[in-house]
Amino acid sequence: MKPRTLLLFLASLTLIGGMARATTEEAEKHLQTAVNEVITAADHTSSSSALETTVRPILEKNISFDAMTRHAVGPGWRQFTQEQQKEAIHLFTTLIIRTYISKFTPGEHPIITFKAASTPAPGRVEVPTTLLYKGSHYDVTYRLENTGGWYITDVVIEGVSLIANYRTQFDAQFKEGGAISVIRSLTRSVDEKR
Amino acid sequence: MKNTKLELSVGIFVLLGIAAIAYLTIQIGTGSLITGDTYPLEARFSNTGGLHTGSSVLLSGVTVGRVEAVRMDPSDYSAIVTLRVVSGVRLPTDSMASVKTAGLIGDKYISLSPGADENYMTPWTRITMTEPAIDLESLIGKMAFGSLDKDKDKKTAP
Repeated sequence: MKPRTLLLFLASLTLIGGMARATTEEAEKHLQTAVNEVITAADHTSSSSALETTVRPILEKNISFDAMTRHAVGPGWRQFTQEQQKEAIHLFTTLIIRTYISKFTPGEHPIITFKAASTPAPGRVEVPTTLLYKGSHYDVTYRLENTGGWYITDVVIEGVSLIANYRTQFDAQFKEGGAISVIRSLTRSVDEKR
Repeated sequence: MKNTKLELSVGIFVLLGIAAIAYLTIQIGTGSLITGDTYPLEARFSNTGGLHTGSSVLLSGVTVGRVEAVRMDPSDYSAIVTLRVVSGVRLPTDSMASVKTAGLIGDKYISLSPGADENYMTPWTRITMTEPAIDLESLIGKMAFGSLDKDKDKKTAP
């Protein structure tokens, strides 16, 4: 290899390494901002009922509910009509937000420690965190994807993935009665969380 | 003379039996009993919980492959598992791999759950959507004994 080619090769390697680091840092920063926004909004809300209205726009801005619903439904998703997909996304978004809020007490401040992020594949970043809430420690890993901006696409709590948890249930529903059955069970779960 | 012949044939029979058992042990151990063409995939886990070479790879409860190798990535201490999946099984790119346990204290295996993407994984694709082995002991410990930090919080609370 000629010295000039070798130099170019080394320079490109350094550049790629630098870009990967920048990407990971960007995703980490995005996640930290999103988490802080949610905590600040929750601190200024006194009741659980008002929390959904306050937190929903922040979560919708930072979580890709489209991707989350698609991943959670699994192979059956391709057999959904466009209207059914839209309805499923809307219901799943509401279900996740209501489930999230039901675990959250206004005034109780969680302490989140961010650990070193990793890049399992280009355009994907995993940020492990430790959450201290109401005296208990939880290991929470956020998975982010870059789809024209960084979005959270999965949350793994104590080794259990949100996507995997719902995929098992949706798959069983889909095998039982197709898209209609999935939407019906989603509607029921959303109503129960009201 | 007759006795010598009989002893010789029994000896050969026993040797063949031992050779067959040894062959099967090696084949099952390395997962070579999966017949037909296979393709390799990689999966990254934060904890494999003792998964080993030859462990089963299941999809809908059906064995579709074997674990070929388990190694550690020294850059972030994560575990990289190489799987061999039968060629007939095409997996969408958002498929998930989870480390599961057969029963409460059984052997570890990998469970695959296909996703919704229209693109499929090609050989040596790395599965990034994974679920590590669940540390049952630590979960039971947390449930049974609570968290030490409860007391610490009370002390530091203003």
